[in-house]
Amino acid sequence: MKKDLLKLLIRLTFLVPVFFLFNEIYTRFFFEKDLQENSPEINKVREALASGAEILYLGESSNTTFRGDDYDKRSISTMIGDFYPGKKIFNINKDASHAGIYYYFLNKIPATSPVKTVIVTLNLRSFDANWIYSDLETPLQKSTILLHDHYPLINRFLLAFKGYDHKSNEERRAQYLSAWKNETLHFPYPFPFKNVKQWDKELFSKGILGADGKKDEAITALACHYVKTYAFQIDTLKNPRIKDFDKIVMLAKERGWSLVFNLMAENIQRANELVGKDVVWLIKENGKLLEQRYRRKGVLVVNNLDNVGDEEYIDRNWTTEHYAEHGRHIIATNVADSLKKFYNREYISRDYTKSQRKESYFQDCEGSEIWGQMQTLSTEKAFSGKKSSEIYSKSPFSITFEMSKKHLPENFDEISLNCHLWMSGDNHSSQLTLEVFDENDKQCVINVPLDSLNRPESSPRWQKINYVFSSVKEFENLKSLKIYFFNPDKTPVYIDDIQVEFKGRK
Amino acid sequence: MLFNSLEFLIFFPLVTLIYFLLPHKFRWIHLLVSSCVFYMSFIPEYIFILAITILIDYYAGIWIEKSEGRKRKRYLVLSVVSTCLVLVIFKYYNFFSENLEHLFRFAHLKYPGKKYDILLPIGLSFHTFQSLSYVFEVYRGNQRAEKHFGIYSLYVMFYPQLVTGPIERPQNLLVSLREKKYFTYDNVVNGLRLMLFGLFVKMVIADHLAQYVDQIYQQPAAYTSLSVFTGMVFYSFQIYCDFYGYSLIAVGCARVMGFHLMDNFKTPYLSLNINEFWQRWHISLSSWFRDYVYIPLGGRRVKYSKWIFNILLVFILSGFWHGANWTFILWGLLFAVIYLLEYAFNRVFHIDQKKEKTFIMRAFLVLKTFTLVTFCWVFFRSQNMGQIKNVFSALVNNLKRGESLHVLPQVWVFLGLFIFVDILLYNKRFDQWCSAKPAFLRWSFYLILIFCTIVFSSIQQYPFIYFQF
Repeated sequence: MKKDLLKLLIRLTFLVPVFFLFNEIYTRFFFEKDLQENSPEINKVREALASGAEILYLGESSNTTFRGDDYDKRSISTMIGDFYPGKKIFNINKDASHAGIYYYFLNKIPATSPVKTVIVTLNLRSFDANWIYSDLETPLQKSTILLHDHYPLINRFLLAFKGYDHKSNEERRAQYLSAWKNETLHFPYPFPFKNVKQWDKELFSKGILGADGKKDEAITALACHYVKTYAFQIDTLKNPRIKDFDKIVMLAKERGWSLVFNLMAENIQRANELVGKDVVWLIKENGKLLEQRYRRKGVLVVNNLDNVGDEEYIDRNWTTEHYAEHGRHIIATNVADSLKKFYNREYISRDYTKSQRKESYFQDCEGSEIWGQMQTLSTEKAFSGKKSSEIYSKSPFSITFEMSKKHLPENFDEISLNCHLWMSGDNHSSQLTLEVFDENDKQCVINVPLDSLNRPESSPRWQKINYVFSSVKEFENLKSLKIYFFNPDKTPVYIDDIQVEFKGRK
Repeated sequence: MLFNSLEFLIFFPLVTLIYFLLPHKFRWIHLLVSSCVFYMSFIPEYIFILAITILIDYYAGIWIEKSEGRKRKRYLVLSVVSTCLVLVIFKYYNFFSENLEHLFRFAHLKYPGKKYDILLPIGLSFHTFQSLSYVFEVYRGNQRAEKHFGIYSLYVMFYPQLVTGPIERPQNLLVSLREKKYFTYDNVVNGLRLMLFGLFVKMVIADHLAQYVDQIYQQPAAYTSLSVFTGMVFYSFQIYCDFYGYSLIAVGCARVMGFHLMDNFKTPYLSLNINEFWQRWHISLSSWFRDYVYIPLGGRRVKYSKWIFNILLVFILSGFWHGANWTFILWGLLFAVIYLLEYAFNRVFHIDQKKEKTFIMRAFLVLKTFTLVTFCWVFFRSQNMGQIKNVFSALVNNLKRGESLHVLPQVWVFLGLFIFVDILLYNKRFDQWCSAKPAFLRWSFYLILIFCTIVFSSIQQYPFIYFQF
């Protein structure tokens, strides 16, 4: 046996230099392609470094989500930039991510970079069992594996052999169900339920009564969801998210960054209405714990927890940190105010409360002006600049203009649309659409076939088109409107440089 | 714990090392505990279901051996019925319930039964069949009943082949489990060779092809006929590489510990006819049906009409074994029909199967068999009858419309290389083929396989297809 074992070990030793050779080959020829496929966020990190930005904002969907009829659809991080026009702020955004993911992005930023301040989204919900053991965790963990501090070949090996937290959805479900059952809730006053499971069960069986006196199933389900989301107490020794944030604190110290944790607002008003003061107490206690813990560690914590009112939350039937324009303004203002600690001289005040009304809107399709359906922007073709909105069967709705009445001119009776269009003779189903919603959310839709606006050409090229929506009686009673192009065909249509003008009675 | 996971890459050497360090008398305990850990890493509770099957057939084996005449047969029937009952409850209950509901509805009656949200225990069909083969062999007197409960449990639970086979026979595995195994260089190297090749075909070929197959089967109507055809061919190789890969790893890791499991595949796509295909594809299952269903029914030594019935029954049962769905039954039926048609064709035209054939003739026959098998796989892959219809309708009608399937060049390269190696492996096994090559060539091949498995394995990972059975 010993002889055979020795023979085997000698041969296995040969694999050590082979590993270094393979690592070299992989790093030179294949690593970048894998990075682009599996961890495209690395490009954001690279862009951040190339931009020379001094302030980095790490966020998830709370940073970028907007309500369709917002006048200002920009992200929170961009709004913070309004207060520091002399400073470059760059955001690295990944939906559903959390501190455990941000860490790997930050780890790729060397101490020698121009980055001085890092703002990290501190989402209270990311500490709850439902998020910690979420189905999204497996793809998130997978997406960071190539960013680890190992030899690239080892990272690729870990990716190939699932060397990351790759639990199945069933396993994750079992984990959060167990947490709801086994994590005891402690209140400073007598409370009838020991854990989330009991609380949820009782709330569900009692139900929340609707206006008709009967159990309102939808509202009851939402209330139960609030319990499952917010009824937890952070255990600083066991909660994995605490460890993630602690790692970020350590990293920031090593790199010499000023660290800001932006504790996002939660819909406390709604939680109070649906579940009551007990859940609000838990939310606030958790917020307080995080604030105190990280202040002690030298982090600037911006506590927005209770700063955004119910009406500013976009999702009405779920717990999210997706705020409408005013909510984002509040968060951005608070963060900007706190940043005065580091950049007092560069700070300029900004008033978001002034009413904004414009008669003309322009979209150059380059990505700086935020409208709906930004994901349709493509570098495939462009009339001017580098991008245009590309629409085809798999992504049929173009970049969309959406605005509410309060931001439109007070009296208008026509809307003029100018843009450049690139379409082939095959696109017979494509159309320009205007949707008008009145105060009762009744919808009026006007579709204009693009065939009728466009001269058919044997070989397609950019053409300027103009269309005027006039004498629409719904304009008088409108609440909001949308304008977009629609193309269900496989052959793509490209739209660039869109101008929307409101004309008429002044 | 999947074979292609980091957990297994830690579990396997650790279990093997401890196995060889332990004295022989304790090794079965170690293997049994390890097999339990392996099985429980999927869904722990299901080990109790496995325990029921083990208990039933352990006692059945002893009672069958002790008794004679009718009583012996009664114990056999009791054992088969109760073992199959577990399978029926977990795998077929909802299928029967659903179909009965349709029948009741058709007769305008209210169906009293219910559908349950039952998750099929992993590998249930495999260990049920392995357990049954034991009672059959004891009944036939080919195998002494195993009195040692631990060893018998290990026979059913031996982790390399626990979830997806090969379905072993007691004469081989049960005997082997009692033998003292030694750490030998040859066993370790041959086992590792098989495992390496198995990982390569699963992770580099099967998982890459799976992405394209999924695309086609999700929306066949959106693709051109050529793309749909490509998807069908890809599925033929996906399922082969997936299952072949798993079997190689299973056989390989058993070999490292000194156990010789049966080969499950012998270059099936190089078969000249469907009969040969089934002698080369999932050999442990087809030989199980041959030995315990086909031959007891009379095999070929019965009237022509009875033989046709037997063939139909065996293939339909084989289809139904795979899954509780009409698509699998149809898949089995199709193979039976093709098998019978080929038989009839050879009879009518007096074709001697054993006669040496020219290269061109062989190539033609291989291509014909592969085309027929590929056609049948559509029934196997589809979730329902509607999907089968959509795939064939797109294949026929989308000659000039639909999108083209964009396949990465590296996928074609790897598939081409695999087909080339598979041809080289005709009637050989990978480890034997390797050991016959000079050291330089052998090592070059190992290194290429290691590099490709790490660097070119699909980023999108798929579970082994046969796990669902």
